[in-house]
Amino acid sequence: MPVNTGLAQVSNDFLLVAVVIYALAMLAFACDFAFGKKPAKAATAARVPAPALVGAAAGSGDAPATDLPASDGPAAGVGAAGAGGGGSAATTGRTGVGRWVAIAVTLVCLGLAAHTTGVVLRGVSVHRLPWGDMYEFVTALTCVAVAFFVVAMIRYRAYYLGLFVMVAVVLVLGLAETVIYTPAGQLPPALQSYWLAIHVTAMTLATGVFFVAAVAGITYLFVDRHARRVAAGRPAGSDGILRRLPGPEALDRLAYRTVVFGFPIWTFGVMAGAIWADRAWGSYWSWDPTETWAFITWVVYACFLHARATAGWRGRRATVIQLLGFGCLIFNVMVISLVVPGLHSYAGLT
Amino acid sequence: MTGLRTPPDTGPATPAGDDFAEPEAAAAIARKPGVRLGLMGWLRWGWRQLTSMRTALILLFLLAAGSIPGSLLPQEGSNPAAVSQYYTSHPVLAKVFGGLSLFNVFGAPWFAAIYLLLFASLLGCVLPRTLRLVGSARQPPPKAPRYLTKLPFSASYAAAAEPEAALQAAAALLFGKRFRVRTGPGWVSAEKGYLREVGNLLFHLALLGCLVSIGLGGLFGYKADRLLVTGTSFDNTITALDEFHPGRMVSPGDLQPFTVSLDRFSASYVTSGPLLGQPASFNAAIRYSDRPGGRTRPFSLSVNHPLVVDGVRVFLIGHGYAPTFRITDGAGRVVFSGADPFIPVETSGLTSEGAIKVPDAQPQQLGFIGVFLPTAVDAGGQLESRFPAPLNPVVSLVSYAGNLGMNSGPSQSVYTLDTSGLHRLPIAPRPLSVGQSMKLPNGLGTLTYTGYQQWVSLQITYDPGQLPALVSGIAVLAGLLLSFFVRRRRVFVRAEATESGETAVEVGGLTRSDAAGGFEDEFSSLVADISGQAATE
Amino acid sequence: MFRLPSTARRAVAGAAVAAALALGAAACGGGATAQDTAVGNGSSFVSGSYGTTQYQPGSRPRAPKVTGTTLTGSRFSLSADRGSVVIMNFWGSWCTPCRAEAPVLAQLARTFSAPAVRFIGVDIRDDPASAEAFMRNFRIGYPSLNDPNDAVALDFSGTVPPAGIPTTLVIDRSGKVAARIIGPVSYNGLKALIKQVSAERT
Repeated sequence: MPVNTGLAQVSNDFLLVAVVIYALAMLAFACDFAFGKKPAKAATAARVPAPALVGAAAGSGDAPATDLPASDGPAAGVGAAGAGGGGSAATTGRTGVGRWVAIAVTLVCLGLAAHTTGVVLRGVSVHRLPWGDMYEFVTALTCVAVAFFVVAMIRYRAYYLGLFVMVAVVLVLGLAETVIYTPAGQLPPALQSYWLAIHVTAMTLATGVFFVAAVAGITYLFVDRHARRVAAGRPAGSDGILRRLPGPEALDRLAYRTVVFGFPIWTFGVMAGAIWADRAWGSYWSWDPTETWAFITWVVYACFLHARATAGWRGRRATVIQLLGFGCLIFNVMVISLVVPGLHSYAGLT
Repeated sequence: MTGLRTPPDTGPATPAGDDFAEPEAAAAIARKPGVRLGLMGWLRWGWRQLTSMRTALILLFLLAAGSIPGSLLPQEGSNPAAVSQYYTSHPVLAKVFGGLSLFNVFGAPWFAAIYLLLFASLLGCVLPRTLRLVGSARQPPPKAPRYLTKLPFSASYAAAAEPEAALQAAAALLFGKRFRVRTGPGWVSAEKGYLREVGNLLFHLALLGCLVSIGLGGLFGYKADRLLVTGTSFDNTITALDEFHPGRMVSPGDLQPFTVSLDRFSASYVTSGPLLGQPASFNAAIRYSDRPGGRTRPFSLSVNHPLVVDGVRVFLIGHGYAPTFRITDGAGRVVFSGADPFIPVETSGLTSEGAIKVPDAQPQQLGFIGVFLPTAVDAGGQLESRFPAPLNPVVSLVSYAGNLGMNSGPSQSVYTLDTSGLHRLPIAPRPLSVGQSMKLPNGLGTLTYTGYQQWVSLQITYDPGQLPALVSGIAVLAGLLLSFFVRRRRVFVRAEATESGETAVEVGGLTRSDAAGGFEDEFSSLVADISGQAATE
Repeated sequence: MFRLPSTARRAVAGAAVAAALALGAAACGGGATAQDTAVGNGSSFVSGSYGTTQYQPGSRPRAPKVTGTTLTGSRFSLSADRGSVVIMNFWGSWCTPCRAEAPVLAQLARTFSAPAVRFIGVDIRDDPASAEAFMRNFRIGYPSLNDPNDAVALDFSGTVPPAGIPTTLVIDRSGKVAARIIGPVSYNGLKALIKQVSAERT
């Protein structure tokens, strides 16, 4: 079936729109840091207590969890605007959100909608799943990553992580649209197999999940460092941002849970890739560079899971391992696939 | 890890994998004087867990780190040409790397040492645990602790029923929910989720299974390549194979005796748009028989669709062109007549390079090197191939005569010419279309470009470890999912009659600090059910 | 660093020893040296796989039924040569070691004549024009089977497979394989073998 170039063009437009909206969301998050009201000091006590297994901010347990920011926004916004940025807030510290955050989260969701539409349209234009070359893979990956992040952000009320995530997403997506861009087209014969759906989908999902874990991990490191400084009585530096973030235990738990969720998906993805390699290349494991780095990533995450079960390795050390694992994953996608020759070089770039 | 010696007063030995409660919480409880919950046993077990896991962690990291050079440096097994290239471009560095086996990481002894030690340590841990699990499979849950309110999850309420009745109701309810239940005087103890440890052990044993499968394939399997021109066939013997990589235990007689002949190869390419020239589909129409004299069956071989014959798989890997020539020598005799495979050097137009060697031409041996352009187009004086299909197949050759070096000495590649013993003939390379000839000077002969054939390159693999690896892989995933998402949990109920005539019922719950979470909900619903039950009694 | 309890140490040590033994096999398993044989990258054998294998009279494998057409078009059948010692040489005009040994075979074929000793070549992956030119060039007086598809080698795969080319098989008068030489033959070596097998009473 011929490629529908018109739709492919529309897909590109949607993706560009998504980049723009994400950039605006990024600005909105930044504005919140700059102009939004700071939560009251007492709100820091409303951290998630340690033994709770659910990270959702029940806070001290009495305040009912407030709804999604969008509905909360206007009420809080009025109060904030009236108070002129400082002063007594109408909301209860962490459980309330500022107007800028509300705008930012709305923009993120809008951008995600545009992003998803772009990915879907690309798929429709080429009559197959839209992850057959590097460009498609990266756009789909970032879409899934943002989707998972939005879910985690809302569930754990960690809106303030949005700024950093948006920066990364805008950069990656911008790179995809410019440097890695491949025109829509049919797949080469080697990729015409239903295993594309199984293997690449699994890897994309797992990467999205690990992305959330990585974000939680990086945040954990900052928050943990701040907490220990405060505990040691040393000057804590600017803690405006840090006080709005979830507490270290909650972040640690979030990271662990997401890795636990993503690890079987990654394992399945690697296995599906091995089965596909066996059908296409004759050998289920040929130490191809991308295969090898997927294995390295798997091993590092396995180390993380082992380390986490070992008491002394909780917290910072385990988080570093987890971030190392995500680093290997990104290295695999960005560097190995593009730079090192191997069987996986279907990137569409020669 | 050794056998767990439990303190004698905890009753039956705690089953393998009994790592209940976070060690900190457990330690916290243990510090309270007089509280004996078997935590000493748990702590000791936890400590041993720590030491053995650390070994495994280090080895696991080494395994991953060791794979890194294998992915960044060219490897002999997959890209020997790049390895030689490395030796020429970085001679000193290449010597160092070569000495450390970095050009063959995955076959290197040190790499094998790492993974074998890792799995030895794994085996040393997993096997005793498996034995213990089997041994304890029938064991009942431990006694209920004294103070249920100290457990991470607890609830208490007053019930109207008698303590005995309340306990019996609770026991029946828990039993109905598939807990393993044990009753005692004034308490009920229930446990569920043994599959978790089963999953854990299955996962690690299955990893071992993967290793064994890979070893099986490496020892008893083989991989071979063959370039097959249309209209020819080959039998699976060593003399017929271009490359043969046998496992250690494979001997020439072990090769399955099938025959494959190539009738036709068809390829289609994208004819318009930005991806012009990209392959759209490949298909090789072959006939095969699984033994000499056996029935011949047709098969359509394509990428992602290999031929399976007698346990061996034949894959379509690549394709190219083999121009055909007829060469007469100076004495007027035909000394060469057939197809000569050329190797593609680029993908967009399939420009191919090759050599023709005529070692028995008289009076002088002849050699030619040149290019084959499937769709030759004049691009500013230079010929280039613009499309991979043979729309205008042109050959251009440089001619040599002299000594090809084939009568003695080391073997040569058929695609390249060793010109050290040859002198170039004074005839300019001219692009030849099909049917055109080139007359060589000094009466050395004539070359006629008679046409072209296509060839396919086939990869033949036999891997007896393939099915075990698949089974092990599935078991890995199953074990992983079980061990992550099955919670090992214990629920205790105590009921005592109080002075006011009511029964004070305490319910306590304990779970391994687990990944999936959600025990809170289960516990609350259990409490609701038990208290609801007691109320209706 | 850490201390494993003693039983664990022993268990791990024992497993490590077993592992080290397995190391020798497994580590080398996948990376066995390639025995490049034919046209693909043109080289023939990795040296070290050359060699002569002789079979004692009582335990010789029976040569399979081999039939074919020679380059000159006549029919050939191995069983028709029962009663002669048959020297079967697998070769190709493109194969350098085969070219190196060709003069030896030509000379020996002139020394030992039919019907006592017959020479037959099996020409692999060659076009007939190149093969005839080869035989002219080296003055090979004995016929060769035209076997572009390695069918003859396949016939032998169950018994004494030619593990590459050149390979020379010495078949005794009762149709059993007395020896196999992998690699180019030497004049004295093959001559001695022919004499030895010819001298045997059937």
